[in-house]
Amino acid sequence: MFVSKKLGRFLAAVCAVVLSAGSLLAQNIVVTGKVVDKNNEPIIGAYVVVAGTSTGTSTNVDGGYSINVPANGTLQFTCIGYKTQEVAVAGRKVVDVILADDALMLDNAVVVGFGTQKKANLTGAVASIDASKQLESRPIPDIGRGLQGATPGLNVRIGSTEVGSDAIIRIRGQVGSYNGSAAPLILLDNVEIPSLNLINPDDIESISVLKDAASASIYGAKAAFGVILINSKHGSKEKEAVHVTYSGNVSFQNLVNMGGIADVDGLHYTVEAAERLGTYTPVGAFWLIDRAGYNAAVAWKEKYGSTVGPNDPMVYGRDWYVDASNRKIGVRTYNPYDYYVRKNAPTQTHNISVAGSKGKTNFNISLGYLNQNGMLKVTDKDWFRRYNANVRVDTQINDFINVHGGIMYTNSTKSWAYATSSTTADVWYYLYRWGPTYPLVDKDEYGNNIRTGVYELKTANQATIKKSYVSVNAGTTITPIKNWNINVDYTYSNNNSQEHDPGIRYWAGNSWSSAVNVDGTTMANNEWYTYNGLPSSFVAKQLLVEDYTSSYDLIYQDSFTSTRQTWNVTTDYTLNIADAHHFHFLLGMNSVDYKYTGVWGQRRDLLDINNPQFDLAIGTQTSGGSASWNSTLGFFGRINYNYKERYLLEANLRYDGTSKFPTHLKWQWFPSFSAGWRVTEEPWMEGAKNVLSNLKLRASWGSIGDQSVASSLYIPTMSLLTDYWQHSGVRDYAYSTPGLVASDITWQRIETLDFGIDLSLFNSFNVTFDWFRRTTKDMIVGMEGLSYNIGATAPQGNFGKLHTDGWELSLNYGHLFDNGFSLNVTASLADAVTTIDEYGTATSIGGWYNGKTYGEIWGYKVDRLFQNDDFKWENGALVRGTDAYGAIYQYADGKNYATQGKITSGNLISGPGDVKFVDLNGDGVIDNGKQLIDDHGDLTVIGNTTPRYEYSFRVDLGWKGIDFSMFWQGIGKRDMLGSSWLTVPGYAITTDGGSAQVFCADFWYETKDAAGNVIEANYDAFYPRAASLGRSRSFNMTDNDKYMLNMAYLRLKNVTLGYTLPQKLTRKAFIDKLRFYVSLENYLTFDHLKGIPIDVEEIAGYSYLNSSNYNSGFAGVGAPAFKSASIGVQLTF
Amino acid sequence: MAFAALTLVSCNVNDFLTRDSLTSMDDGSYWTTENNVRLFVNGAYGSYFCGYSDNWGSVYAPACYSYEMSDDRTTTGTQAAILVSLPADNWYRAELGYRGYWLQRRGAGPWNFAYIRKWNLLMNRLEMMREDGRLTDEQYSHWMGVARFFRGWEYSRFVQSFGDVPYYDHEVATNDTDDMYKDRDPRSLVMDGCLEDFNYAMDNVRKNDGTDYVNKFVVGTIASRCMLFEGTWYIYHKTDQAMQTVTDIDGHAKKYLEAAQKFAAYVMDNGSFTFNTPMHELFGHLYTTLTGTAGEVILYRTYNKSIQSSNQHCIASYAGGNGGGEGQSMAGNLSTLKAWICQDGKPYNSSTVENVESWRMQDMVVTRDARFEGTFWDEPRSSATGLYVEKFIDRTGLTYGVDGAPACPPQYASCTNENGYPCVRYSETVLNWLEAKAELAEHFGGPAVTQADLDRSINAIRTRPIDAVAQAKGVKLTAPLQLSWVNDSFDPERTSDAQKACHSYAVTGKFVSPILWEIRRERRMEFFMEQYRVLDIRRWGQMELMLGANNPDLLVGGWVELDKSQQLTKRKYNLLVKANVGVVSVKHIAGYNSKGQIILGDRLFFDGTFDANNVYIDGNADQMEGFLIPQNIADRDPLNVDVRNYLEPICSDVIRQYADKGYSITQNPGW
Repeated sequence: MFVSKKLGRFLAAVCAVVLSAGSLLAQNIVVTGKVVDKNNEPIIGAYVVVAGTSTGTSTNVDGGYSINVPANGTLQFTCIGYKTQEVAVAGRKVVDVILADDALMLDNAVVVGFGTQKKANLTGAVASIDASKQLESRPIPDIGRGLQGATPGLNVRIGSTEVGSDAIIRIRGQVGSYNGSAAPLILLDNVEIPSLNLINPDDIESISVLKDAASASIYGAKAAFGVILINSKHGSKEKEAVHVTYSGNVSFQNLVNMGGIADVDGLHYTVEAAERLGTYTPVGAFWLIDRAGYNAAVAWKEKYGSTVGPNDPMVYGRDWYVDASNRKIGVRTYNPYDYYVRKNAPTQTHNISVAGSKGKTNFNISLGYLNQNGMLKVTDKDWFRRYNANVRVDTQINDFINVHGGIMYTNSTKSWAYATSSTTADVWYYLYRWGPTYPLVDKDEYGNNIRTGVYELKTANQATIKKSYVSVNAGTTITPIKNWNINVDYTYSNNNSQEHDPGIRYWAGNSWSSAVNVDGTTMANNEWYTYNGLPSSFVAKQLLVEDYTSSYDLIYQDSFTSTRQTWNVTTDYTLNIADAHHFHFLLGMNSVDYKYTGVWGQRRDLLDINNPQFDLAIGTQTSGGSASWNSTLGFFGRINYNYKERYLLEANLRYDGTSKFPTHLKWQWFPSFSAGWRVTEEPWMEGAKNVLSNLKLRASWGSIGDQSVASSLYIPTMSLLTDYWQHSGVRDYAYSTPGLVASDITWQRIETLDFGIDLSLFNSFNVTFDWFRRTTKDMIVGMEGLSYNIGATAPQGNFGKLHTDGWELSLNYGHLFDNGFSLNVTASLADAVTTIDEYGTATSIGGWYNGKTYGEIWGYKVDRLFQNDDFKWENGALVRGTDAYGAIYQYADGKNYATQGKITSGNLISGPGDVKFVDLNGDGVIDNGKQLIDDHGDLTVIGNTTPRYEYSFRVDLGWKGIDFSMFWQGIGKRDMLGSSWLTVPGYAITTDGGSAQVFCADFWYETKDAAGNVIEANYDAFYPRAASLGRSRSFNMTDNDKYMLNMAYLRLKNVTLGYTLPQKLTRKAFIDKLRFYVSLENYLTFDHLKGIPIDVEEIAGYSYLNSSNYNSGFAGVGAPAFKSASIGVQLTF
Repeated sequence: MAFAALTLVSCNVNDFLTRDSLTSMDDGSYWTTENNVRLFVNGAYGSYFCGYSDNWGSVYAPACYSYEMSDDRTTTGTQAAILVSLPADNWYRAELGYRGYWLQRRGAGPWNFAYIRKWNLLMNRLEMMREDGRLTDEQYSHWMGVARFFRGWEYSRFVQSFGDVPYYDHEVATNDTDDMYKDRDPRSLVMDGCLEDFNYAMDNVRKNDGTDYVNKFVVGTIASRCMLFEGTWYIYHKTDQAMQTVTDIDGHAKKYLEAAQKFAAYVMDNGSFTFNTPMHELFGHLYTTLTGTAGEVILYRTYNKSIQSSNQHCIASYAGGNGGGEGQSMAGNLSTLKAWICQDGKPYNSSTVENVESWRMQDMVVTRDARFEGTFWDEPRSSATGLYVEKFIDRTGLTYGVDGAPACPPQYASCTNENGYPCVRYSETVLNWLEAKAELAEHFGGPAVTQADLDRSINAIRTRPIDAVAQAKGVKLTAPLQLSWVNDSFDPERTSDAQKACHSYAVTGKFVSPILWEIRRERRMEFFMEQYRVLDIRRWGQMELMLGANNPDLLVGGWVELDKSQQLTKRKYNLLVKANVGVVSVKHIAGYNSKGQIILGDRLFFDGTFDANNVYIDGNADQMEGFLIPQNIADRDPLNVDVRNYLEPICSDVIRQYADKGYSITQNPGW
């Protein structure tokens, strides 16, 4: 981020005061006026000078000025961050001007590693993000969500909509190495922070993104995959003033998409899938379905669909019945959204800050509050709250010494109903897993509770994770002589997390086990006797009401603390020779010491479920703990040189050590270089400057060490196993078998080569383009070529290499029309592709191999669905046969299609309505060969999971205090093979029952009457014939191009309409600024999902409580995506 | 601050950067005491002594929930496929904490060398510890014995699945490509190695190393199991294409059978094991160890989730839990029922026990061997076949939540069960011993089986006491088997068409001998649904019994009286409803042949007329008494019972890995 405009104004004011002191007073007319920006906000400290003279003044807090000027003279208005404007006085007494933003802002200072640099002189790939544009006025809880689409090459993925969860951030590509993390280093005031969710977006002064090695390398060890530099607000922008600012926002969240879960059509699919395998008995887990049940469900829907409300009790004989084999058959269908999802879930944020400058002291104090509600209905325990407090002070003690200090405190609470201890199968999981007849209503006709997710949610106690983060910082800047600074900075940060899980027992009708007689004599009306063949009146049944608990009749509490101590010591010296040769030298050291400890305790068997306490539980007490530590230490130096700001050079060298590798391999040197040529500064370009305002060519190369791997890769460790065996009732303890290790493991080297061009035309149209190649050398991968026979996973060593190629383009156009209407349009587009260069000699297409494009998906190509006449029939039955792989149905005479025995899965054999795959290699059989690069049968690359072609565009309009902005963000290409009930037709359909509606509404089927005549059919279906696949993509859904999910999207991330009241009015109430706005988030999405009810940004397995295997990695089976509508106010006085 | 910073820098930076793992041991410093060796070995118990497995796991657990494929299990609908196409993987590179892997289709181990490495590594470390004086000779010998015992067992599991496998008696070095990609060694070479391991273990493992730890008797029983498998395999698969890698098949068979007999004999001669515990006590006992009270238990797995929350299992969900609410989707069949011996020690077709001709469960629990009552619920019950296995739960587990009974307590629900499992027990020892002896007598000129041999084994098992509940039903001890009875006509089932269809008949050209038939029968009754059956029918060359086309009794369930099932005392149900017209069917007994074998009639479907309210008016309800035919039953595809299915194929991942590196591995025949 550029040092903000306001700060720029303040700096300008300082120089203006200095300059104006020496100005001559001429006997001319007095001109007064006001200088404002496009939003009609006064520009403080703009410099007003009589053209051609040194006479000048600067604007005051109201933007007003007064100056003596010849009546026919010209006034020049300048201010950092704005385009300079000249206005002829022409005898007027009042000259008001609106200054247009200077999109170039070449003179602005950009925050870079351990310092700032003029934008004009940057040689690395550094992007600065306008925090006020990107973060303000948006109903988003954290910076991560705000950074999405903010600059090309910065990829932000909102993989989970669970409140409180972090966005996943990557710079330039999704993967950096086989083992390590590719996460960028996120620094708040030069100190790493564990989560962007800790920061109050309102406290941010500026954000810089360091993308290439040359700009990031100064941060060393953890900066290999880029750096996000966040600087907090440090004091007042204005001398001798104190301002109080309040901003508040209230938003209401609703699902992006309510629907898409199969209802009775799901039962149709289930029955078809069961019957094709000859299963005419009811199928399902606890609530079963067969043809009779399905027909009854259709009838139920017709008869009761509009009269039986979601909360009407479940009635035996009407909503369900028990068949002759004592199996529960559900007839009533339940729409999960009616039961689970909250409408208009409110969220609010409030921030108040006091920023001031008194004498030689600057300070900033801020408080923030966020209360975000989750989308779960029934419970009031689904929310995320955060409190922030931030204090920054600095003071100039004397001419030589400046000291500063600050404290940042964040306290967040994630709350949820503790209905389950599982994060691999939580309440959302069961919402999607079970079919539509699984009861969701929580009462039966006798008023008994029913064991449902809804009842359990409603009853459960409140679980919380409380995180508190404290960061205390103190430092000094000593300036012994002019141009020489010594900076010493120490930060102690402490991240503490406490989880509290109070368990519960329930009392409800057991919907899992079989039904029991109410009393053996009461009879019930069987409304569906014409369908189910049972008597019209039968013995009344009910679910057995009992006390139950799963494995969470317990109280659990944990506490984990990590501390990080960071020292940054730097010294820098600026040297200018002959006003042409400019040098800047920097030397420094950086050390980080990290420690983590934690302990947990648990006790079972609660005595009082309303007050779960350790002292009020009587079961076994267990406890455990963990500890880890690591450290890095680095020494670095940097030289900047430029000749007349025309030729720019920078060199960095860093010597890094880490605790993660063996002693003799801990230390390595990492150099980087960059250079720039400002073509437009050449004397011979002077004439072109009216058109070509700026042209700079940049190049950089650098290497950074990466150690984002596990700590003990070189040690054959043996861990304590949490075992299950007991020796004669005594708990067993055991240690694992040591793994294979490579003792010479060392740093991965991440090298980045970057070429960039910055171009401006007519001072208003700007283009920045970068091409880069990032290479991971000495990549830590498993030793190549080891056989499974070795009996252990291959040891890790520096055997591999990969590279990522990409490019980034951003365009900007800004114009201020004479009538005060301002327009600013920004667009960006970026792409990155990672290729594996060295991964041994493996050629298996499922794993990594040399030349593989990271994320590629292999699969078959689909031709079409088979139809009846493709096959040979005898006596009304298909004729079986076999091919090299398994059973097949023979094709009709003359149809020489490839056989699909390989696709055969158990008793599922490709027949009419099933997928006909393309025989790519023409060998007459559909197969996958040996799944090697040179023998992969009919498989081919059908897609890629990497998000590609990320784009965004933003329009800002302003006119007389009205501002309007619109921000779109999209991904041009991303493919996904889901693995869940929502993403794969037939997924465990006969055992679980849940499904997306689209699969069940348009699948191939034919229904025949008793005589064998087709009475109903859907031969033109998009989805193939029903088949229960188990929990896998098999048979028809064997990975293929037709049913792969296209996750590309374009989303209207934000629309904001705001109005700032004229200061003339607000000043009367001593208000400097008052703005109201409405803001919509996520309100419009264009996708290719064809109605599959998952979010376009979905990342399977990622959520707040479990970031790698949430809900067992099933795609889309988590908190659904929501949109927010909000109103807000910003007030400064 | 500057001073502090400089101090930090000036101190030894490498100390600052030395951060070894705080929470794990290091192979370099671990091997110091005998107790550490014990902790290392502990890590494998769950994989070898699975019992009921743990949590929702089903590995090596009783067949009613672990889907073991055998001729004892029958489901509704189409019978499950075994293996038609080459799997991508049947290998796992990891040692899985406390739950092993297995190939349910074979009942044996996967292509997972993690445990082979574990034991080879242990042997190497034990040598080191002895050289360093960290172990006494006695300690060294014992633990070396334990390591070799487990290695022998592990390789036996490999061979049972795959036949030939690459054999390693050392840790494979990461730079020895030829070694790690060597082709499969002949199974006889591998098993010779196992035999050496077992011999060493028998000589050196302690007689007592603490309760439920590996001791000589555990070794003896398991070693006899592995050796018996191998020895009998060579007899009944002698002419298989896969056996072409083995030279001197007979010599090996004899050696292994002699070893099997010797190992078992050691346990019988030196142990003090007795059959003093009723059947239900063995499996259904809750919470505590049986050791000390159950004389036949050699190694027992206890469960107690209050010690550790995961120390629990879910057998009750499949075999009697939730008040039996969850029906059994796989249970016994007519083939099972026929095999059961009657109380007078005779097969059903020659028994003279009163009421023996009745196939009603209520009667069979009284007329059959006591283990029948200990295995099955004593009335028909709604399940796939009408039979309900209650062997693995205690007496009360099945009575809850039914028709007004109290709600099911937690220990019978979900995966919160804690009953223990006798992982190694003496009945197996004696049956292994007896079978090995009989095979040696029949094929290799060994001494013949005597009445005294039967009394030490089969007849000893039959003295197992009968608990009070069974006694109250009228269950009595089964008469001892008399050698004199065992002649060609003792059980005509022995020479049935089903037996003729078996692979072993093709290999040996004859039916099983009468004495072996009785020994095998005893195993089937004793180990019903315990995971031995699939291994047994494979080694005996009788996998063909898993195809209904060969063995029609497989597709027939237990005896039901559907018209009276609403009057059952314990679990009422009514299948005779309109919806089941043309769906529910039974087979009557059409008559008996000259040998006393039942002949089944045609399949009779339920038919009837119903009034407007679906109340039965008239029909054949009163004829709905007979053997229940599981609904919509269909035989499994013959491909599934192809002779190639005796061995697991080498999976395509392994083949590809070999090919990837320019090596090749030989596939099993037919795949």
